[in-house]
Amino acid sequence: MTGELGRILAGRVGALVPVLFGVTLLVWAMSALALGDPARASMGQRADPAAVERIRRELELDRPAPVRYVRWVGRLVRGDLGRSLRDRRPVTAVIAERLPATVRLAVAATLVSIAVGVPVGVVAAARRRSLLDHALMAGAVLGISTPVFWLGMMLSLVFAVWLGWLPVSGYGGGDWLHLILPALTLGALHTGVVARMTRASLLEVARQEFLQTARAKGLSEFTVVMKHAFRNAAIPVVTVIGLGLGNLLVGAPLTETVFAWPGLGRLLVVSVDQRDVPVAMGVVLVFALVYVLGSLLVDLVYLAVDPRTRHAAAR
Amino acid sequence: MALSADPPTLDPALATDLTSAAVVRQLFDTLVELDEGLTPGPALARSWTVSPDRRVYTFLLRRDVRFHNGRLLEAADVKYAWERAARGKRPWVFEKIAGAREFIEGRAREIAGLRVADPATLEVRLAAPFAPFLYLVAYDAAAVVPREEVERLGADFATNPVGTGAFRLARWRRDDELVLERFPGHFRGPALLDAVAFRILPEDLTRLNEYRAGQLDVTGVPASYCRVVEADARLRGDLVTWATLGTQGLRFNVESAPWTDVRARQAVAHAIDASLVVKTVQYGCGVPARGILPPAIPGAPAAAARLPYDPERARRLLAEAGVTGGPGRPRLTYHYNTGTPNQRLAELLQAQLRDVGIDLQLRRLDWAAYLTLVDEGRTGFYRQAWIADYPDPENFLTVLFHSRNVGAAGNTSRYRSPVVDRWLDEADAMAPGPERNRRYAEAERRIVDDAVYIPLYHLTSRALVREDVEQLERSPLSSAPEFLSPLRKVWLAR
Repeated sequence: MTGELGRILAGRVGALVPVLFGVTLLVWAMSALALGDPARASMGQRADPAAVERIRRELELDRPAPVRYVRWVGRLVRGDLGRSLRDRRPVTAVIAERLPATVRLAVAATLVSIAVGVPVGVVAAARRRSLLDHALMAGAVLGISTPVFWLGMMLSLVFAVWLGWLPVSGYGGGDWLHLILPALTLGALHTGVVARMTRASLLEVARQEFLQTARAKGLSEFTVVMKHAFRNAAIPVVTVIGLGLGNLLVGAPLTETVFAWPGLGRLLVVSVDQRDVPVAMGVVLVFALVYVLGSLLVDLVYLAVDPRTRHAAAR
Repeated sequence: MALSADPPTLDPALATDLTSAAVVRQLFDTLVELDEGLTPGPALARSWTVSPDRRVYTFLLRRDVRFHNGRLLEAADVKYAWERAARGKRPWVFEKIAGAREFIEGRAREIAGLRVADPATLEVRLAAPFAPFLYLVAYDAAAVVPREEVERLGADFATNPVGTGAFRLARWRRDDELVLERFPGHFRGPALLDAVAFRILPEDLTRLNEYRAGQLDVTGVPASYCRVVEADARLRGDLVTWATLGTQGLRFNVESAPWTDVRARQAVAHAIDASLVVKTVQYGCGVPARGILPPAIPGAPAAAARLPYDPERARRLLAEAGVTGGPGRPRLTYHYNTGTPNQRLAELLQAQLRDVGIDLQLRRLDWAAYLTLVDEGRTGFYRQAWIADYPDPENFLTVLFHSRNVGAAGNTSRYRSPVVDRWLDEADAMAPGPERNRRYAEAERRIVDDAVYIPLYHLTSRALVREDVEQLERSPLSSAPEFLSPLRKVWLAR
């Protein structure tokens, strides 16, 4: 069994390589085709042509784009993501500096989505078609559809400016109070998705005969829902949570901008704006890696929990 | 205090933006410093003399200036720093010095016009007299850096700067907070503040909320929030407003049809109501432009130089130029870079030009793409704001409209007028005075009449400053939330 799981795992990990390669190629092609020159953009409105040319040479921008890409991939294999065009620092160092802030935010937002989304989904399923169900699901849709930018500003205005309970923005040197509003903002979108998926999965499982058996055995409704129904409904919910980690990263640039959070999202925004291609490539690579690892994690959970998927994968 | 972006660099040779400049000016010193009234005064140089032909400046340096690493500053440091910066991102700051162009282009090993006479004397010979030269000496690109630290740190000097400034870098968490601490060995004596923390807050509303929550002592107020602040009884008293030496306007590439025809350009100028632009784009909190030169710039003409709003005349000129809208005619395109005010301006422009029969197509680009498009002359009609690097008409008119600056150097309109070139050349070399001002006024009048540039409004800085913050100068070269004034003078009355 372990050997079988190992083979499947090796296959999945192996499949990640072409995916990540494709992502880098796509980002590189887009940056090469986009109008705008990093050397020129770094010089402000008034630029001396001789200085622009010199900086282009220093940054190796005078070489053809495919040559730069091949060199970049060559360095990547050795774990070197190149240097930032903005301040010439190693991209790995720039990313390593920002990664903890983004991970903190993404994990906190995920916890928010689980802590709020799962109970909301369970209650809504248990009170199916009641007023409470409709109200909770309306709230979930609101969470999904509210723009992150607007929600962040509103939370900040109410809890930081009016009530003065929490800081308005900033990392605060890692103080957890600074994490609350960004995590609530970023988590709101995902909370709605988790709540809806939890409700749908529970209702799907509720139709299964084994639950009737459990009830017939005289178990309480709480035990039926939590012990029997929820465990079976958990797989799709875990899928949504795992894949949602990628979505949280996608939402991070806006949240990080509103709350002046020094993470990868803001780094991506600035590097794209400044045509700092090596940094933008590095951040996108990290995002892609998190996304595919999230998918892999979900696959592994499936394989571990559901024997049917294991057999299917082995075939 | 707040910064609207993380400074891309703290190396004066590489900084090109106001955010970096706001910090660089606290970490480094220049030979000359401008006061709030924009008058050059001594800084690293205790005095200077100018030769009768106004080509040779001799700076006598202070002998008590120490870098943050403890070493005494010498004239050789200035020569090193200037030559290094001349091959940085703002070589134009040094190009008036004899031999600088050869050095910038790699054809000389040093700038011939820079001579270290002795450890305390630097002699600077210009290629030709240039009235605003002292302003260039006061510019942050001309800040003095210690050679040994630059060579030791290499590229890391940009993030570990060592200068002579009243403050030194204490810590910098990128995109979060940058803290400066007082440098006790500063030649003017220690700064009054122990430390200055710059919070990096990209969003206007976030900065305003931080100020409301008592977490900032100073912050800028963008035009979009000026009415909100004025209406807020708790904030109103802290609001300060001052003129920034900048103008927002529209430019034509005169080599791109139909803008090759002066009548087409004039028609657009007559079709735009600058007062409405201020009302809409600036929320009424601004000053309609009366010309290209901001009124606060020393030497700016008293009389307005702007084509008046006259839609009827605009229609007539368009008909004469054959640019009236209609079937089969190409749509005209306006390019602008991203940003809410720019978007509002573009939409207003589209509406105003529709009134005179022009069907304007809007094309929005990010900053890097926009710069490339404009530099390469691939747009005919576009937006351009200009904030003075130094307070002189030359920095507007010569840089933006002289034919030798066609392209990325400033004249993106590709405007070539021999008479304007002559007036500008004459004025640039003259000593400050009424005759020089008259030349610039003539040049400005001609440029506006040729409708190469349509001035819309002059830039205004607004900031919230707590009443116990004392001596924060509001330099017209600053653009809030970034302050270019020396923070060594600031103290807190609390």
